[in-house]
Amino acid sequence: MDNIINDFTLNIATANGTGSQSANLILLQTISDMGVNVSGKNLFPSNISGLPTWYIIRASDAGYQAPGNRTHIQVLMNKATWEADIEACEPGTVIIYNTDVKLPVERDDCLVLPVPMTKMARGIHPKLARMIANIIYVGVLAHLLNLDDDAILSALNKQFKGKQKAIELNSTALALGRDFAAENFGEERGPYRVEAREIEEGSFMIEGNEAIALGAIYGGITTLAWYPITPSSSVAEGIIDWLPKLRHDEDGKTTCAVIQAEDELSAVGMIIGTGFAGGRGMTATSGPGISLMSEFIGLAYFAEIPCVVWDVNRTGPSTGLPTRTQQGDLSMLYEASHGDTQFPVLIPGNMEECFEFSWRAFDIAERLQTLVFGFSDLDLGMNKWKCSGFTYPDTPMDRGKVLHTQKEIDAIENHGRYRDVDGDGICYRTLPGSGIDPILYRGTGKDEDGTYSEKPEIYHANMERLKRKIDNSRTWLPQPILREEVELEIGIIYYGSMENMIQEIDDILESTGMKVSQCRIRSLPLSPIAEKFVRDHETTIILEVNRDGQMYGILRKELPIELVPRVHSCAFSDGMPPRAIIYAKKIMDVLRKVGATTEVLA
Amino acid sequence: MTIKLNVINLPKDDYKGGPSSLCPGCGHDQISNVIVTSAWENGLDPKRIVKMSGIGCSSKTPAYFLSQSHGFNTVHGRMPSVTTGAAMNNKDMTFLAVSGDGDSASIGIGQLIHAIRRNLDMVYILENNGVYGLTKGQYSATADIGSKKKKGTTNETQPIDLCALAVNLGCTFVARSFSGAKKQLTSLMKAAISHKGFSLIDIISPCVTFNNNDESMRSYGYVKEHDVELHAVDYIPSFSPMEEVEIPAGAYRDIELHDGSMVRLETISEEHDPFNAVAALAAMHNAEREKKHVTGLLYFDPGKPSAAEDQNLVDTPLSQLKEEQMRPSKESLDEILAGFRGL
Repeated sequence: MDNIINDFTLNIATANGTGSQSANLILLQTISDMGVNVSGKNLFPSNISGLPTWYIIRASDAGYQAPGNRTHIQVLMNKATWEADIEACEPGTVIIYNTDVKLPVERDDCLVLPVPMTKMARGIHPKLARMIANIIYVGVLAHLLNLDDDAILSALNKQFKGKQKAIELNSTALALGRDFAAENFGEERGPYRVEAREIEEGSFMIEGNEAIALGAIYGGITTLAWYPITPSSSVAEGIIDWLPKLRHDEDGKTTCAVIQAEDELSAVGMIIGTGFAGGRGMTATSGPGISLMSEFIGLAYFAEIPCVVWDVNRTGPSTGLPTRTQQGDLSMLYEASHGDTQFPVLIPGNMEECFEFSWRAFDIAERLQTLVFGFSDLDLGMNKWKCSGFTYPDTPMDRGKVLHTQKEIDAIENHGRYRDVDGDGICYRTLPGSGIDPILYRGTGKDEDGTYSEKPEIYHANMERLKRKIDNSRTWLPQPILREEVELEIGIIYYGSMENMIQEIDDILESTGMKVSQCRIRSLPLSPIAEKFVRDHETTIILEVNRDGQMYGILRKELPIELVPRVHSCAFSDGMPPRAIIYAKKIMDVLRKVGATTEVLA
Repeated sequence: MTIKLNVINLPKDDYKGGPSSLCPGCGHDQISNVIVTSAWENGLDPKRIVKMSGIGCSSKTPAYFLSQSHGFNTVHGRMPSVTTGAAMNNKDMTFLAVSGDGDSASIGIGQLIHAIRRNLDMVYILENNGVYGLTKGQYSATADIGSKKKKGTTNETQPIDLCALAVNLGCTFVARSFSGAKKQLTSLMKAAISHKGFSLIDIISPCVTFNNNDESMRSYGYVKEHDVELHAVDYIPSFSPMEEVEIPAGAYRDIELHDGSMVRLETISEEHDPFNAVAALAAMHNAEREKKHVTGLLYFDPGKPSAAEDQNLVDTPLSQLKEEQMRPSKESLDEILAGFRGL
C-alpha cells in the first residue's frame, strides 16, 4: 500500500483537564512548522476536569481546513468514550491506544497499535504520569507520521517556553514514545505520513479571539467592559494581556480602562457611557450575553451612541452547547432589541479580517453613531488558524461628526443633535465637557433638538432617518468577496468561519461536474454586490451553520421580490465545526429539489 | 439690581433647567432646586457636570436642572453602568446622578451595589418615595411594612434600607435627608459633590399623588412628625464662602474632603462618629425600631481610591486622547508579528 502524504484526519480522545491540550498543540505546531497546511479543532466540554475532549488535527496539501469526512488515525486515551470512539472508526483506521486504560480494542479491520503510555510515563515521573502520558502519544505519532525531529523539539520548546524542567521531562517522554514505536511498529505503522513542504514565509497560527483583541488595541479602544462567557472571554483577556506592552506609558499609566462588569447588562451600559463621553468602548460576549444586553442595545440605536460589541457565537438557544460552535445569533444581532432597529454587523472569515474588522469597527461606530456588532464564532475564535499577518490600519481614525467649538456649531445652519443637515442621516454631536450645545440624551422620543416629544410626525421622521443612516452604509461597509465561474449557473452565498471549508465543498461539487460561484458576505446590511450576485446566477444557495437559515431570511427580506425565488436555504448545525461533506450533500439535495441538478454525490 | 454671582462669576440662573412636568408639590422638584443651589454655591462649572438618571419620576428631573450640562436619561435601573463608562473617559468631571427607589432598590440594585463596590466618583441622589409613580402607584421595595395604598392592600413585605446596605458595602459617603429639609439637604449635597468617591444621599421625597396617606412612613405628615436629625451639616468651601455660614451651637467636627474643602458636622446625637460603620448601622436600626428616620451624614470614609484612580489612567481624560496615544505604532505591530513568526 502506498503511503498517504499530508492528507489525513487525526482524532485524539482524552479527558478534560489531563494536560492533553499541550500535547495536541505541539503536534499541530510541528506539522505547521513543516510547511504543511494543517488545522486543529478542540472539541472541549463545558467542564474543568473529567469530561471527554477530542482534538481533531487535519493535514491537507489541498489546503482544506475543516475536519475531514472521516478519521484516519484515532488515539484512545479516555475510558469514558472508549467504546464509542472505537465504534466510530471506519475500517482501515490506525488506532493507537493506551494499554494502561485496561480496556480491549477488538477491531480486526483496523491497524491497532497498543502502547503502555501511563506505565512509560510513570517511569519518567510517577506523580506527573497522567500528563506525561500525552506526550508519549506525540512521540508515537512522530514515528508513525515521520515528523521532523527539529520541528517537534522547537514546538515543544515553544509550548513550555522558559519552563526548563517541563521541557526536559517532555523531551524524554517524546523520545521514549518515539523509540517504543520504532521498536514495536517498524513495519506495521499505517500509510499516513507528513512530508515537509516549502514554508510559506511569514505565516503563523493564531486564534481569532487574539486577533480581535489586538485589532481593538490598534483601533484605539479606551474602555473594555466585559463579563466572562465562553467562548468570548479570551478576547477580553487578550486585550488585558497586550495592554501593558501597547497602551501603557513609561509610568505604567494606561490609555484604556478595563472593567470586569457584574453582568452583561452592565458591560454594555459601560461602553454606551464610554461612547456618550466620546471614548471608544468595546465588549465581547456570546449569545446569552447579547440576549441580556438587548434593552441597552436599543438605547444605543435610538440615542445614537457609538460602541462595539463582539459576539463570539456558541451553540444556542439558552445555555445550549456552550463549548460548541454555531452561526445562530446573526438575525438576533441584525435587529437586536425591541421596536424597529438595525445594526451594522461585521463578519470576518479569517484571522486577517478578525484583526482588521476589530479596529475598523470603532471607525464605523463613530461614523454612524451607533452600536456596531462584530460576529465571530467559537470555531473562528478559539481554534488556531493559519494567518499571513496583520495589516497596520491604512486610514487615520474616523471620529465621526463631532463638533468641538461654538464656531463649528455656528457654521451649521439651525444645528440640532438629531437634525440631518447633510442628508446622510448622520447628525452632528457634541461631547460632555465641551461646554457646547448641551443635550440630555434619552431613550424616549425626541425632536431634532433632542427635546422630549411624542408627536407622531416627529417620531416617524426620526425613525425614517435612522433607517436611511444605516442603509447608506451598504456600499462602504466591508463588501462581499466573489469567486465567480463563467457559467453563472449556481452560486453559493456564505459567511464567517465557513470560509475555512468552502474550497473543499467547491472541490466536492466540482467532482460531480458542477461549477459553482461563491460570494462571501462580510457585513450587514446587505451590500448591492450580494444582490447583483443573486441576480447574475440562476440559482443561489445560502449556506450557513444554523437551523433556520438566518442569512437566508435576511436575504428574502432585503432582495427585490423577483429575486426571492432564486435563493434557497442550506442550513445545518449540530454544534460541531462544519464538515464539508455534510454541507456538500445538503447542497446537492437542495439543488435536486429545485431542479438545478440530477447528480447524486457518491 | 445687581445679579448675585458665585465664585466663578456665574448667576444662579445658569444652573437652572426647564420647567418640571411632575405633579405640583412633588418632593422631587425641591430636590432639583437643591441641586441647582448646591452646584451654584460650590462654584462648579455647569459645563463640567454630567447629569445621569435611570427611568421613573425621579429620573425625569435632570431636564429640570442644569440645562447647560450634558446628561443621559438611560434605562431603568442601569444608570450606574453608563455613568461608570462615562466617568472612565471623563475622570475630571462631576457626575450628578438621580435615581428612584424602583431603579435603585429593585431592577437596578445590582448596578448600585457594584458602583458602590468600585467607589465610582459620583453623587447618587436617591429620590425615595416608596412607590412606583409613573406606573401609577405600585409599592416599591423601600415601602414600609404596613404602608397602605390609596386603594387596595397593605404592604406586608420588609423594606430594603439602601443606606444600611451602602454602609455594609463600604460606601464612602452615606447620608439620608428629607426633600423638605432644604438646609440640611443642601449641606449634604454640597459635601457629597466635594467627596471624591461614591456618595449616596437617600432622600425621603414623598409622593404627593400615590403615597401620601398618613400611615405611610414616607408621607409628609409622617415624616414631619417623626424626622430626627442626626447631624446638621454645614459646608464651607475652601474658596470664599458664598454666604455667611451659621455656626450652630453645640459640639462640632470638621472633616476634610478630597478637594481640600471642609465639612463641619454638628452633632446632635453626640456619640455618633461618622467614621464608625457600626455606629451608623446602630443609629439606623434604632431609628427604625422607633419608627423614626435618622438623617444627616451617617457614614464617611475619605480614604479609599475611586474607581478611576484604581485604573491608573493617564492624566489626559480618555475621551480627549489624540490618535497617536490611542493607536500603537506600526513598529510595535511589526514586532508582535515577528514574535508570532518565531523570528
